[in-house]
Amino acid sequence: MKLTQREVAEVVVLEPKGKIMGGPDATLLHDRLHELINQNRKKVVIDLAKVEWMNSTGLGILISGLTTMRNNGGELKLARVTEKIESLLTITKLITVFENYDSVEAAVESFK
Amino acid sequence: MDEPRISGNTIVIPSDMVYLATVDEFISARLTKAGITNSTIADLAISVSEAVTNAIIHGNRNDVAKKVTVRIELNQTRVRIFVKDQGHGFDPDVIPNPTDKENLLKRVGRGIFIVRSLVDSVEFSFSDQGTELILKKNLARE
Repeated sequence: MKLTQREVAEVVVLEPKGKIMGGPDATLLHDRLHELINQNRKKVVIDLAKVEWMNSTGLGILISGLTTMRNNGGELKLARVTEKIESLLTITKLITVFENYDSVEAAVESFK
Repeated sequence: MDEPRISGNTIVIPSDMVYLATVDEFISARLTKAGITNSTIADLAISVSEAVTNAIIHGNRNDVAKKVTVRIELNQTRVRIFVKDQGHGFDPDVIPNPTDKENLLKRVGRGIFIVRSLVDSVEFSFSDQGTELILKKNLARE
């Protein structure tokens, strides 16, 4: 997995690419989310358009990021969730937990 | 620490999460070569990643001296993937439902639940030599 970051109107947009399955790669996303919290960056969008699939480790990282953000007065939102990941979110009922947007722009706009 | 070993349709890895990607490459290459659809490959790859993660962490307790063996068995109508560790097993019937309200925000505990939703059958085989998960999926070809 590769991870890039950009900022749009005070919102941090993280763009993971590849597969999120655990091991050293997955800690990239986990560590980045927790670094953002430490930096007081509490508006985060994860753009999942380039994530081929993720497993329960990836879902756990998203959940951990979400709860930590919310506990610190922030929010983590998802954008451009692929069909395979949406299916996993539905099966696990996590679709009811995350705000999920069709575009990064819509996710960023939702913070205003 | 030993390196992963591949022989035909079998890969053996030390119990280290760093090799999860190696197993994924092995599985994806074999299934792609067999002409299986991308969606089915993803379902199996996710399931194998869950099974190998469990084998490394819960079965072999991250002991790199212990091995995880993954074997693929393919025919025209179905694929079976065997994931074996050298641990002492677990009771698959006592795994909490991760979709229950009290479990929904937990970081872990979804692996076997996801596997059961993505493949057509999951069998568990326990012996003195370890635990084996047998994942079976019926095939749709492109």
